Amino acid sequence: MSFERSFRVVDKIGVTQVLINSLSGACLYLLIGVSFWLIYAPTKTFFVSHAAAITFGAYACYWFNQYFGLPLPTAVCLAAIAVALGFAAVENALFQSLRGDSKSWVGLVASIGLYVVLQNIISLGFGDDTLVLRQGTITVGQKIGHAYVTWVQTLMIIVGGVLFVSTIMLLSTTRLGRGIRGVASNPDLCVLLGLNVDRITLWSIGMGSALAAVAGILSALDSDMTPTMGFRLLLNGVIVMIIAGAGSIRGFAWAALLLSMAQHLAAYFLDAKWMDTVAFIILIGFLIWKPLGFAEQRLKKVEL
Amino acid sequence: MDYILHLVVFVLLYGMVALSLNVASGFTQLISLAQAGFFGVGAYTTAILATRYGWPLLVNLPLGMAVAGLVALPVALVALRTVEDYFIICTMGMGVILFSVMNNWMELTRGPMGIPGIPAVMLFEHPVIAKWEWVLLVGALYAAVLWVARNIKRSALGRVLVAISEDEIFCQSLGKNVSLAKVQSFVLAAMLAAIPGALYAHYVTYIDPTSFTIHESIFILSIMIIGGMGNLWGSLVAAAFMILVPEALRFVGLPSGIAANVRQMLYGAALVLVIWLQHSKVRAANAAVRS
Repeated sequence: MSFERSFRVVDKIGVTQVLINSLSGACLYLLIGVSFWLIYAPTKTFFVSHAAAITFGAYACYWFNQYFGLPLPTAVCLAAIAVALGFAAVENALFQSLRGDSKSWVGLVASIGLYVVLQNIISLGFGDDTLVLRQGTITVGQKIGHAYVTWVQTLMIIVGGVLFVSTIMLLSTTRLGRGIRGVASNPDLCVLLGLNVDRITLWSIGMGSALAAVAGILSALDSDMTPTMGFRLLLNGVIVMIIAGAGSIRGFAWAALLLSMAQHLAAYFLDAKWMDTVAFIILIGFLIWKPLGFAEQRLKKVEL
Repeated sequence: MDYILHLVVFVLLYGMVALSLNVASGFTQLISLAQAGFFGVGAYTTAILATRYGWPLLVNLPLGMAVAGLVALPVALVALRTVEDYFIICTMGMGVILFSVMNNWMELTRGPMGIPGIPAVMLFEHPVIAKWEWVLLVGALYAAVLWVARNIKRSALGRVLVAISEDEIFCQSLGKNVSLAKVQSFVLAAMLAAIPGALYAHYVTYIDPTSFTIHESIFILSIMIIGGMGNLWGSLVAAAFMILVPEALRFVGLPSGIAANVRQMLYGAALVLVIWLQHSKVRAANAAVRS
């Protein structure tokens, strides 16, 4: 009897906990999804090397924090700036040199090669072992109802939410933001109107990389870091972008929430090891039945 | 000498997987990142049948091909509804799912523990153990796969596949069944990938899911792209290059911890470089049009 009762309590804890975990996970995916969109929109290329931006962010922060003894907020800012500069230079160079190819897979496959090189640079520099960015002891966190929310989860929700909203604001109100949206929808017309398309592309890639770096740092604070951490996170970000459709705000929010919720429910009812599988089943489902995503707008030619 | 023959076996095995990927992607230019998954399906089918039931390779090989084909059929039906980049992402997802199944279905695959003790291949009551025997066996099957791939390339199916890479809609307008051709090539490629898979399982005698990750798919893809898409002999040359160059690094005196990373960086860089070089032709053509 007592077992049954305790099981029911566990169950109640479970539901709230799943909700909290889903929400913080969704904010992280939101950030990665938007950061990937910023790179995809002007280049129309799936830059797999974006995964390395996530990893480099976390490791750069670790490096500034541990080797130079900088406080965490300073280290985060420096890491984001460094990643933004580095990746804007590298990915832009790759994009410009492969431009104008009729085959769309060329950029994607080249960026896979770039990712492999960058990921192994991290492996060589820091080793393949798990590194810990978080300082101090692990605490159970704040109790809400029957569940616990850690300070990293709170941070994820706040930082992810704020950065997402400010990116959206930037895209809709500033000159640069409108420029990015313009290049996203029709680069040729932007050239005609006298916009500097190359510079806007460069800025967009830089911003996307900076956001990815922050996402990497948040993820590293939550669940530590390995040189391959970026790849899984990127896949989730790509899935969010694809099922969100063409950069609509509501689409992004729904997509991130749906993906994160489904993954955490799977982790709760089945096992955490099936989280990746669930993510891809959702993606494949969307590609078949709703290829235009939540926004019902054409991202690019999805199907014939 | 054994070491050199061992490398030859590996070159042939990976050349064979790249050749099978050529059937799926080389002609149509629809890049698949699920090939390591099908390679793994072949390996696991053989390993499970050989260790649990003691069945011989001659039975396991066709069964492995059949299982890989059966797995590939729904994958093809789903993934081939998408095109271009989405197809790559979709097949990448299939690769991850296949890996998850190998890694997590403990009852069947023993998960990360892998399957040890896969028995030697028995051919006509004679165990194939010596390295030179392996070279002959793998070489013979390589020749068979090459023959099949060549015939596919020259057949009506192959010509439809090449036409798809040029202009899918135009090809459709000629009354060709485009989607059927794509599904056929994808399933055939998966079945061909199961052959090196089965041989790999018997050759190394121990398999675990880490041999069939998405990174392995990327490695196979680089072999195919470096060898030239649709170029059947190119796959073998590229496989030799991609496997022998990192081995050569070993003699330079790189510590083994670094060697794995350097090997991966090499193929990543080779991938970027080859695509860049191929693209320079496109650039030259574009410049010519402009002037």
